Amino acid sequence: MKQIYICHDTITGLYSALYDAWKENRNGEAGIELRGKTQQQLFCEYREVAECETKALAIERLIKRYMGYNTYWDVYHALLSDDPVKGEAVFHMMQEARNLQDSTKIMDHLSDANVAKVFELSRRVSNEAHVYEEFIRFRELENRVLFSEISPKSQVLTCIGDHFADRFPLENWIIYDRTHHVFLVHHAGKQWKLVWGEKLDEQAALKTSESQKEYERLWKGFFESVSIKERENPGLQRSHLPLRYRNQMTEFL
Amino acid sequence: MPFSDENSGYGIFFWKQLKKPNVCAIILTEQTFALWKGWCIDVEKIHKEMTLYEKLEILSDAAKYDVACTSSGVERRGDGTGMGNCSRAGICHSFSADGRCISLLKILFTNECIYDCKYCVNRSSNDVRRASFTPDEVCTLTMEFYRRNYIEGLFLSSGILESPDRTMELLYATLYKLRHVCRFQGYIHVKAIPGADQRLIRLTGFLADRMSVNMELPTAESLRLLAPHKSRKNILAPMRFVQEKAKENRQEVALYRNMPRFVPAGQSTQMIIGATPETDYQILNVAEALYKKFELKRVFYSAFVPVNTDISLPVPAGQGASLLREHRLYQADWLLRFYHFEADELLDEVNPNFNVYLDPKCCWALRHLEMFPVEVNRADYRMLLRVPGIGCKSALRIVKARRLGNLKFEDLKKMGVVLKRALYFVTCGGRMLYPVRMDEDYITRNLLNTAERVPEGADGMTYRQLTLFDDLSWKETGSTTKGKARGKNEADIYLP
Repeated sequence: MKQIYICHDTITGLYSALYDAWKENRNGEAGIELRGKTQQQLFCEYREVAECETKALAIERLIKRYMGYNTYWDVYHALLSDDPVKGEAVFHMMQEARNLQDSTKIMDHLSDANVAKVFELSRRVSNEAHVYEEFIRFRELENRVLFSEISPKSQVLTCIGDHFADRFPLENWIIYDRTHHVFLVHHAGKQWKLVWGEKLDEQAALKTSESQKEYERLWKGFFESVSIKERENPGLQRSHLPLRYRNQMTEFL
Repeated sequence: MPFSDENSGYGIFFWKQLKKPNVCAIILTEQTFALWKGWCIDVEKIHKEMTLYEKLEILSDAAKYDVACTSSGVERRGDGTGMGNCSRAGICHSFSADGRCISLLKILFTNECIYDCKYCVNRSSNDVRRASFTPDEVCTLTMEFYRRNYIEGLFLSSGILESPDRTMELLYATLYKLRHVCRFQGYIHVKAIPGADQRLIRLTGFLADRMSVNMELPTAESLRLLAPHKSRKNILAPMRFVQEKAKENRQEVALYRNMPRFVPAGQSTQMIIGATPETDYQILNVAEALYKKFELKRVFYSAFVPVNTDISLPVPAGQGASLLREHRLYQADWLLRFYHFEADELLDEVNPNFNVYLDPKCCWALRHLEMFPVEVNRADYRMLLRVPGIGCKSALRIVKARRLGNLKFEDLKKMGVVLKRALYFVTCGGRMLYPVRMDEDYITRNLLNTAERVPEGADGMTYRQLTLFDDLSWKETGSTTKGKARGKNEADIYLP
């Protein structure tokens, strides 16, 4: 009977499920589904995975060692996406990698359906992360903390943390993910970290500093005046900057 | 302004430093900036008191016709003491209503100009509001916008204030303050002012990431006509200078790791398209020469937008036509830089202009049908690059993936190949996707049907619906409607 592992939609959860699946069923069929998003199937046995850090680290080591560092990043990105079949695609990809002479080349094997799926998911997530590196807008709160909120489809916060930490090392800033309710917090001169399970104080987030309004006005003025009227092309603008990003961007508010 | 005045206190020091060989930076102190401030206030009195908002509005409006707004070409991590980093691919932060990316804070330092170029908004004979920033203002604007992730850096250009030397000094002082006082490590693109002292250009180059000198117009003849104060020689001289210094600097950097980098992201230029009667072939040849002989990173093309009325300027037929022309030139430019094409392959004396309906790569492929179809599983990388619908990334993916298994058309689709164009030119395992006639007219007709669909006759239907306007006297009228059914002869009109 096909074994299906149920886990939380977190990196630790998915890695733990992969660990169990790999340990027990690496030669056979297994499925990985997300808690709360399962579709009951016939002839399957369901089991909840005991999630722990050790399992996650073990599978991370396994992937890095046998499938290479680049593949690891593709897998990591794919697991951050919002696709419910991501765990299974990675599992089958790992099985496929054993058939290759050189398993580190697995991501080149795009004619395999599961590899193509992982590749697509990884590309989707890293593209979205890049888009947020571009379109995130910070506002300065009264205590000079820079605050920004986003609503991404995938869990991109860990992908953009390094970029902003390198860019603003001497600033205090917070990015809040509205879809997954996670904060990315950076203290001046320190490493960034993720904060789960806190609630956003909406009132405090709206209290901006004095100069913030002035710079917003300047930026909006610049945004208007830099566009050439004779070349106006809203279609092109929309394809580069889709509408769903705009409700959190200063220049469109 | 104190520096260029060789007799005033700081000017003597500045010029003495400048005359030393191999000086990489001249330190500007708070005292100098204070001198500066006094000078700027004098200028401001003339313009009355202007708010920062008004200045930004005027000076960004004046800078908007400069196309180059890229932040690519240099990878730099922050050193932890200030703010900013750079990424090699560049980052766009917004897109304005005309669909162009906003990556840098694109402003002029001043729009006062002694030159009278006929196509330019800021020509000296135009009656427009004039304004100038102070270095302080540019620095605060850049830093505060950057902090909020509005921009990727600064694009600083300028009108010619009093003399090229003086303008270049202003730019140097601004960049110096931004880099060394504000500790800004983001991207800076600065204009080299043609005619400015080479030593000043060199000093500024150590502070900037990219430098550019605008070609303005493709030929010396049109330059003489429309920009009487600029000459080809004057423009090419700083370009050559930057190229040589960058080459020298690369060797120095290899030798001494901590040597400051000179213009690490290379230089770029731009040309106005459609203001003068050059053909696409001429323009593309100029671009190719610039890439090969001057090692430019980018050549930008800017469709002429009439902002002035002047007897020597053309009256444009319609904005749409020149925008499409600009688009085709960019497509060809990419073919030159990434697809190993030569200008002579794409155009020649007989067909000096690009086809309006088909992109340059498709046109080339249609003229060289003897090379197609190519077998995806076997063709070399360079040949794959020449197939319409296959780009650099998908070609690389194909080359890697076919080592591990045979490729089929479904796989190509997943890799990002645009099958609606590629299907006429490739085979997978010896077969084409549909039975396709290798006939120029037939393929052209199908490529022109923009919607993705099965080519005519592939589904076994050898006839098609007759319409009243089919095939009839299209050639005589030269009409160019994009009907669904196209006559066979019609293709002759489009193809060069």
